Amino acid sequence: MASLLQPNRVVYLVRGEKKIRAPLSQLYFCRYCSELRSLECVSHEVDSHYCPSCLENMPSAEAKLKKNRCANCFDCPCCMHTLSTRATNIPAPVPDDPTKTTMKKAYYLACGFCRWTSRDVGMADKSVASGGWQEPENPHAQRINKLIEYYQQLAHREKQERDRKKMARRRQCMPLAFSQHTIHVVEKYGLGTRLQRQRPGAPLSNLAGLSLKEGEDQKEISIEPAQALDEVEPLPEDFYTRPVSLPEVTTLRQRLLQPDFQPAGASQLHPRHKHLLMKRSLRCRKCEHNLSKPEFNPTSIKFKIQLVAVSYIPEVRIMSIPNLRYMKESQVLLTLTNPVENVAHVSLAICEDDDPDGINRTAQILVPNTELVLAGKDAAAEYDELAEPQDFQDDPDVVAFRKSNKIGFFIKVIPQKEEDTDVTVAFKMRHDFRNLAAPIRPSEEGGDAPAAEAIWLTHHVELRLGPLAP
Amino acid sequence: MLEKYNKYKNVAKIAAGAVVCVESEIRGDVTIGARTVVHPKARIIAEAGPIIIGEGNLIEEQALIINSYPENILPDTDGVEPKAMTIGTNNVFEVGCVSQALKIGDNNVIESKADLGRNVILTSGCIIGACCQINTCEVVPENTVVYGSNSMRRTQNEKPQPQTLQLDFLMKILPNYHHVKKTVKGSGALLRN
Repeated sequence: MASLLQPNRVVYLVRGEKKIRAPLSQLYFCRYCSELRSLECVSHEVDSHYCPSCLENMPSAEAKLKKNRCANCFDCPCCMHTLSTRATNIPAPVPDDPTKTTMKKAYYLACGFCRWTSRDVGMADKSVASGGWQEPENPHAQRINKLIEYYQQLAHREKQERDRKKMARRRQCMPLAFSQHTIHVVEKYGLGTRLQRQRPGAPLSNLAGLSLKEGEDQKEISIEPAQALDEVEPLPEDFYTRPVSLPEVTTLRQRLLQPDFQPAGASQLHPRHKHLLMKRSLRCRKCEHNLSKPEFNPTSIKFKIQLVAVSYIPEVRIMSIPNLRYMKESQVLLTLTNPVENVAHVSLAICEDDDPDGINRTAQILVPNTELVLAGKDAAAEYDELAEPQDFQDDPDVVAFRKSNKIGFFIKVIPQKEEDTDVTVAFKMRHDFRNLAAPIRPSEEGGDAPAAEAIWLTHHVELRLGPLAP
Repeated sequence: MLEKYNKYKNVAKIAAGAVVCVESEIRGDVTIGARTVVHPKARIIAEAGPIIIGEGNLIEEQALIINSYPENILPDTDGVEPKAMTIGTNNVFEVGCVSQALKIGDNNVIESKADLGRNVILTSGCIIGACCQINTCEVVPENTVVYGSNSMRRTQNEKPQPQTLQLDFLMKILPNYHHVKKTVKGSGALLRN
């Protein structure tokens, strides 16, 4: 019954800008706002770029210059795997004596998955292991660069005019030079700050970040407009009659991975440098605290800050489901795990009939009335043989078993829909949360430092129990 | 016809120079050429006809080369000609592959867990990628590479290199750790179609 442990069986509701239902393992918990956050209600910031095959770190400026591609690694144009460099020995004439031949090493690129080699497209073997491979030059590169320069200049000029108008409206007394400097300082720090982000109507702000510096001469760049041609190259005569040789034709995916050339024939597929991946950090949009900050080193998978929901919110999991029948009450066994070290108190409640969050429900549910108590997570408990037995008085109708920080409990499910392919139930889970991050204010009475205040959080949990028994 | 063929069961003619481990299962009329290496736990089963394997082949563990009856014919039917399966030179059958193709040329590589049907004819220089299945009725043209989960195809410019280094190494090392089946003395003249 491993399918019961699938993560998307139990989803928690996140009340952000949109209501999102996601399993707890994919959610984050902002302990300053005391709310769940999903990937869509946090802001993503790029930390660093790295190549996935050679794990080389690259600062963002260099990455932008190299168009986010690695300098050493190549992708197979056929199957997008990483290419490896292989060596062969070829006899080559010694430069001094043309009659003798020595073995020289020649290198070529080969793919381990689809067996593509650089010799397939006619690239000659190189004599150096790395650095000898060149990407073919885009025939339209010059025109594109000229167009980019022209538009950069245009964007810069438009931005200046817009900001000048804004500054002039707000502060009539400020000299113009000072306001220019302020704009420039804000520009340098890019789109990370709140001020910049909350300006939604900035169409060319991406290009404006690359704009010319203040002191440079603004030479007028003019471009010739593109000319429309009346006549198009005619198709070759045998276009309709020539049989297509499928191994020779490139697939759409292979073609579009090289938008510069988009070759139609497999013999023109050249390898490209590998795309860089990035490490990102997540930030809560309301309180601007970091929720997830990975380490800078690409080889490390650890986090400096990791506020994931599974380490703060008790997790509900389905353990066993009996045969569900229409309008018949069945008992479903669920488990609840306590992730924190303090004792947790959890109480469950059913959703009201007019609850807007509960629209996915297809069954009625009866939850235990009593408050469930969960022991704290004790990392050393598994090694401690003389563990004291936990002293909780459990109602055997409610609690099935108890094991360190986990508890199994029953709920009663009455499916309401006939021919239901996926019985869905929902309930509210209320638990106490101690915010250990907030600074503890010294109490008036003095004495020991008081424990952090417990606040009660309520979450909406939905379970998918699968189809009715036939 | 089939009764006459059945007399020749349990006869495996292994040419001198071939290394065939005792743990491999060889059933039926199988001829193995010189410099061929058959790993332990490889299975070569000649049910519905003889199998003739050429020189310089490398048949790895758990590979299955089987000349089986076509699906709709029972073993006891009369009038069924035993068809011979021929395998050329310098082929590589990687771990776990299944080959029922009746005719395989030279310098092919059949990667791990690939599956060839009975009606396929491989020419030379083909590479059948891992887990790819070919069960169509066709002649695979030369230098074809079949790869990917959708068994896509492309043509390569040159045939794969023969595994001479690997064969030499195995022929030295395998007899150190495994018992080898006895070879038949004499010429290893093979029937090649």
